[in-house]
Amino acid sequence: MAASSAAGRVLTLCRQLQNVCRISSTSHFVNVTKGQNPVYRGMSPLVSLSWCSSLGQCRALHTTTSRRGLEEFFDHPNNWGETNVKSGAPWSAKQLRAKSSEDLHKLWYVLLKEKNMLLTIEQEAKRQRVQMPSPERIRKIERSMFRLETVVSERETALRLLQTGQTKGRPGAWRRNTFGYVYWYRFKEYAIPWYMNRRYKRKKFYTPKFVQPYIRLRIEKYIREKARKENLKKKAQAKLKERFPDMKVSSS
Amino acid sequence: MRLTALLSMAAKVVSPKGYRYGTNRPWTAAALRRNPPGKKRRKVFVEPIAPEDWTVLRGDTVQILTGKDKGKQGKVTQVFRHRNWVILEGLNTHHRYIGQTGDYRGTYIASEAPILLHDVTLIDPSDRKPTEVEWKFTEEGERVRVSVRTGRIIPKPVVERRDGIVPEQWKDGPKDTSPEDTLQKTYVPSLKTLEEEVMEKMGIQENRRQQRSYWY
Repeated sequence: MAASSAAGRVLTLCRQLQNVCRISSTSHFVNVTKGQNPVYRGMSPLVSLSWCSSLGQCRALHTTTSRRGLEEFFDHPNNWGETNVKSGAPWSAKQLRAKSSEDLHKLWYVLLKEKNMLLTIEQEAKRQRVQMPSPERIRKIERSMFRLETVVSERETALRLLQTGQTKGRPGAWRRNTFGYVYWYRFKEYAIPWYMNRRYKRKKFYTPKFVQPYIRLRIEKYIREKARKENLKKKAQAKLKERFPDMKVSSS
Repeated sequence: MRLTALLSMAAKVVSPKGYRYGTNRPWTAAALRRNPPGKKRRKVFVEPIAPEDWTVLRGDTVQILTGKDKGKQGKVTQVFRHRNWVILEGLNTHHRYIGQTGDYRGTYIASEAPILLHDVTLIDPSDRKPTEVEWKFTEEGERVRVSVRTGRIIPKPVVERRDGIVPEQWKDGPKDTSPEDTLQKTYVPSLKTLEEEVMEKMGIQENRRQQRSYWY
């Protein structure tokens, strides 16, 4: 399907890529000019050698094994036209937990590149209104990436717990709103302290006295509903027991 | 994908009130045809079986205890846990026409009907006779099904995954990581975050100072 894509489509892709390059080159400008960062460009998933030379901004060192330029957006030519491309299992969290941060960082970009490739295929399949070959690959990649993020956040949490004792990355506090609900308020970052922030001071983190009767009513309603649900559950259980006397499980 | 979106997908699907689980998956058009909105049907009572007590798996060979195919043995092709049903390959069938149009009467096929789990037993692989089954642990800590009558272990069936792969028979392709590389342990615990470690490995130094900010 990649073979049949029109030249115009490739051109637009090129233009998009150029934009990406421009954006990324400006964002990493600090690093590149200082010259402390020879490998960094190499890790970038989108940029390969040919692109670098045309832009003339980044280093020529490239450490990834496959260097196929724009071809990396498409599947391997052997898989073209196949209806079924077999793929292995996604990375499990258990496997990822044994990997160092550097490996995880590399793996993230490997997965990202593969995802880009698959999304290209999917888009092309949509354009031709045909079934994408083996669409489960996208889900596999997504699961791997999600698990990788989970593992990284686990490590972050462990470190934070060890160093600061905080369970959450973002600070917060239990607060009360006007209606008497107690909720976890997540702090935000401001440039000025709170006593100078007039908009923040307008917020109400307290409950007026006249709300008390309504809070009471709300609690009553909640308890009634809970009791009703429990009753219903009990009744359903009794009915099941009647039908299946030698039933093992207590709850369905 | 956003985390919240993913979590919402992982959340339990709540079926509408009065929904009757059938052989079709709940989100398909065929299931909707059976359960149109506003349709009220008699409630079906399904004996609750704990997930850890469930013994019949896809790919198992079982024997039918009741019905017209009583005494026959067949392979389980589908398992429906919502209804305690199994479908056996080529057994308990009825005949019907599919693909009928105006002047074409359709194709006449045999289609399998689901059987209740109660009307089916697993067979012992040693003598191919029906037996009661229990979940037990081996000395290695593996959970296995054991035949009550002979004490033999009934092995778990080798089945194809939904993407057409049998994990036990899988050979690594060009894009797969080799088992050694996958299982290699490279993690060394340190008091650094991922970002700090990667920056150190790449020789990136952050000299910029962050502006004073307030969290509240």
